[in-house]
Amino acid sequence: MTLSALNADVIVDQLNAGEVTATDCVQHFLDRIQVHNAELNAFIRVSESALEQAEAIDQRRKAGESLGCLAGLPIAIKDGICVSGQPTTAGSKMLENFSPPYDATIVERLKSADAIIIGKTNMDEFAMGSSTENSFFGPTNNPWATNRVPGGSSGGSAACVAARLAPVAIGSDTGGSIRQPASFCGITGLKPSYGRVSRYGLIAFASSLDQIGPMTRTAKESALLMSVIAGFDPRDSTSSKEQVSDFLTSLETPLAGLRIGVCRDHLNEGLDVEVKTKINDAISVFKQLGANIEEIELPQTKSAIAAYYIIAPCEASSNLARYDGVRYTFRAQANDLEEMYRNTRGQGFGDEVKQRIMLGTYALSSGYYEAYYLKASKVRRMIKQDYDEAFKKVDLILGPTTPTPAFKLGQHTQDPLAMYLADIYTVSANLAGIPAISVPVEPSSTGLPIGLQLQGRAFEENTLLRAAHQFQNETLWHMASPSEPWRTQS
Amino acid sequence: MPETPEQPTVNQVAKLARIHLDEQQLTSSGEKLKQILEFVSQLEQAELPKDIEPFFGAIESVNAIREDNLQTSVPREKILDNAPESDGEFYLVPPVFRNTDS
Amino acid sequence: MEDTVLNPTSSPQSNNRRAVRFDDSQIIIGLEVHVQLDTDSKLFCGCSTRFGEAANSQTCVVCTGMPGALPVINERALELSIRAGLSLNCQIARSTKWDRKNYFYPDLPKGYQISQFDQPICGPGHLDIETSEATDQARRIRIERAHLEEDAGKSIHDESGRRQDSKIDLNRTGTPLLEIVTQPDIRTAAEAKAFLSELKLILNYIDVSDCNMQQGNLRCDANVNLHIPFGDEQIATPIVEIKNLNSFRAVERSITHEAQRQFEAWQENGLTIADAPKQTRGWNDHTQTTTLQREKEDSADYRYFPDPDLIAVKIEDSQIQQIESQLEQLPADLRKLLAEQYNLKSADASVIVSQGRGVVDYFLEVADGCEDSKIANNWIGQEVLRQLNESNQTIEQYPVSPQQFTDLLKLVIAGTLDQTRGKEVLNAMVADCISPEEAIKQLGIKPVDNNELVSLCEKLIDENQDVVEQIQSGNGKAIGMLIGKARKMNPNANPGLVKAMLAKMIST
Repeated sequence: MTLSALNADVIVDQLNAGEVTATDCVQHFLDRIQVHNAELNAFIRVSESALEQAEAIDQRRKAGESLGCLAGLPIAIKDGICVSGQPTTAGSKMLENFSPPYDATIVERLKSADAIIIGKTNMDEFAMGSSTENSFFGPTNNPWATNRVPGGSSGGSAACVAARLAPVAIGSDTGGSIRQPASFCGITGLKPSYGRVSRYGLIAFASSLDQIGPMTRTAKESALLMSVIAGFDPRDSTSSKEQVSDFLTSLETPLAGLRIGVCRDHLNEGLDVEVKTKINDAISVFKQLGANIEEIELPQTKSAIAAYYIIAPCEASSNLARYDGVRYTFRAQANDLEEMYRNTRGQGFGDEVKQRIMLGTYALSSGYYEAYYLKASKVRRMIKQDYDEAFKKVDLILGPTTPTPAFKLGQHTQDPLAMYLADIYTVSANLAGIPAISVPVEPSSTGLPIGLQLQGRAFEENTLLRAAHQFQNETLWHMASPSEPWRTQS
Repeated sequence: MPETPEQPTVNQVAKLARIHLDEQQLTSSGEKLKQILEFVSQLEQAELPKDIEPFFGAIESVNAIREDNLQTSVPREKILDNAPESDGEFYLVPPVFRNTDS
Repeated sequence: MEDTVLNPTSSPQSNNRRAVRFDDSQIIIGLEVHVQLDTDSKLFCGCSTRFGEAANSQTCVVCTGMPGALPVINERALELSIRAGLSLNCQIARSTKWDRKNYFYPDLPKGYQISQFDQPICGPGHLDIETSEATDQARRIRIERAHLEEDAGKSIHDESGRRQDSKIDLNRTGTPLLEIVTQPDIRTAAEAKAFLSELKLILNYIDVSDCNMQQGNLRCDANVNLHIPFGDEQIATPIVEIKNLNSFRAVERSITHEAQRQFEAWQENGLTIADAPKQTRGWNDHTQTTTLQREKEDSADYRYFPDPDLIAVKIEDSQIQQIESQLEQLPADLRKLLAEQYNLKSADASVIVSQGRGVVDYFLEVADGCEDSKIANNWIGQEVLRQLNESNQTIEQYPVSPQQFTDLLKLVIAGTLDQTRGKEVLNAMVADCISPEEAIKQLGIKPVDNNELVSLCEKLIDENQDVVEQIQSGNGKAIGMLIGKARKMNPNANPGLVKAMLAKMIST
């Protein structure tokens, strides 16, 4: 089997056993990127030093040094996460040439584990979007059908893993930005609980919603990455001191007795027929695995999108005020300071970003705080309470990740509201701060991936991963790869 | 319901946000804003218990506090490296006013 | 930019206004004071707060607001804020949180300042100040609140008119500030100065801040308007915020100037607080006037909302109690102690206390040691303070220990040394870092026995018959000349004894 067909945990085993060198491993993926990235545009930037790093790892291994648990494993990182000494762009012209003088905490941890960062992946600008069409560096194409979007905002990471340009990737999720692209690209994407993974070094979109998470083929690889990146960080005030469970050892615990809730509302209106069918099929698999399926209600879901599209833009409008042309961004021509601000932000930001900043600025402006942000935050409390109630009865909540499979490029760009509404199943987990994972189920009749979402109690990622893993032991959808050359139409 | 952006106007919001939009962009932005604001204003209808506390997302239990210890600053050369304009000592920005009064 | 003139210069209304006297109006003053807290590191990151370092050498990804950087609160800043609040009789919040104040300026890296909006760390309190009118009655100035926030950087604008770029130094961004806001209880410029002086003294005493305006670790804006009795009503003039005040004296002078300016403006145009929004005026130290600052394009809409990168801070009762128990005595308490237990006049007590805890402790040790607080006060309040001032030293650097000083004063009290001689001894002690005994030896001070004294006085009388005649004819003061000569002949002669003996000899 070729290296790129292998899962990360297997690759790591082979590297440790000396069956393959880090240099050969990295070269293999660099070659694939060389061949395929032009068509997919999954990477904004390929690391120039990856091979050098791989050689260094091989040297150290030869010298008998003890190495980190991911030694030699290539990993792709979403370009909204700071990696020092090279551009971190957040998919924006504003940061096109920004080279951070520091590594994000998760990058430090991955480097300590001797993983090799092979490149920075494409994303919707400042993580605002659900299709990666909002990137300054052009859209990413879905390897399952290149006329379709890979999802967003972590579209580059999702496409990269699906197309096996890297075995695993890191993304970020604010309203579904890991899970939705995972769903569209047929891979596994985990959004950890809020506070579980440090945000230090993640270019902020909406601070109270953002989380970094793994994007992989399998739940097992996801658990492997989580064991490296999760855990308290004193540099992030919102980082949780909650004990990190051993994500790997609990994977094999059988699901007998696990209570899984299904919200009937979510399987009715607006849901693509095929999606509904495949989700129901998946429910049967969980039953076979010994889980008990119960009906639950999440009545506040109907308000979730509205709450999200107030809270996120408000926080974003403030987080993005620092991009002003003064210290480290693109700067536009201007005669005076005010002109510099307006031109820099007018030219440096794309339309969607500007739109959301406008929305957030408006909603926070004088007299509107109570009506918008505060009100939405109260609704947010209700949504959290919905989950608290549901989790008294069940351990996990199951449903579709997205209402439809991947849509076509350009399909929604004129109608932002339609795009926003498609986040219906994912935003609530961010609002409540709970973890959620998307895993592939049987694809559509036209061969487009479909994702199933599991949501769990705060800090119970291990339950999510365990259920996903057991599901993946029973099914094979996660192992499918788009055949090469990539299909251009679907 | 709070007014859709006539007050403050789209122009005023763009000003507050320091974003230059031309006429066409202002119009288009205004329309989109209106649309989205109409949508999110459905929250007006949301029935909330009177004493409900807002939830702002972060875990609410522990004080996140650090000791008053000195850390090494980023060397000036490095921190100014990304500056669009600098004289090696300071960040340089265009003057506040176009005309030289006051 | 000129103020809007609503009513023409001469009209029945304006004539009536001109009939009102300035002295009938009341000046209403509120102060907003920003105090830089004396922490080693900044409020949200570990960069140094040291003043005067090379531009942009004390910054990091957090305080320059780089993408992805996050703030973490400094525990000492919290502690110092609580200390300050307790010293100002403020209620201390049990739960306090952070809010973002959003605006654009090049020295504000994140495009927002992390501050506190609706749950400040310190709630209402008060500070009692002494006024010149009634020294036994303190004036109570209420504190509205005190909150913690981060400082911005420094902008250096091109003043030459050549429209060069502005230079931005971010060393200062992120330095912890405590913003203390008073109620508009202050009524005179002198009171404002007294308030600031006492505030500075207190915060020095409890090691919260140096409060040095010249170094920028205390900044003050004054909000001023007038209440003018006019006919049956009381008119309030529009409130003016005075900025750019660099010293306590500037605060005082600017308020005096502004009050007069507002009165004259009102006489001119009749504008009241209902007619005009709050104005901002800058104090110009050269011209000693306030000038209208350019109006901001839109009135600041700070779009306050809770900072989602920070969580609330819960403060326990036990924490507050601990801080309170360790709080040093406040100046007011020490002034009271000196007045009541050491019988100092309140003016003298104020002088000692205003010099700082070190001088107070020195005084207490000496007063206790020589058991005469009056003498201790005379000597320390005058000699010591003068010497410290001249040599630019602190009491900690003063070469004479409290014990040595006590020994010296004991000799003076016993009459062994007279005042003049005593001061010479002290000077020698200071100059050469020696004990009183060594200084006495060095100066050759010896007691003069009675025979020596008698022969000295006889000699004086012999050689100065003309002066003796003056004394005998009623000019008692002339004896001073003889005493002066006596000292020249024998510096060890005690002036008091000489005087008594001469008087006796002359009258007989």
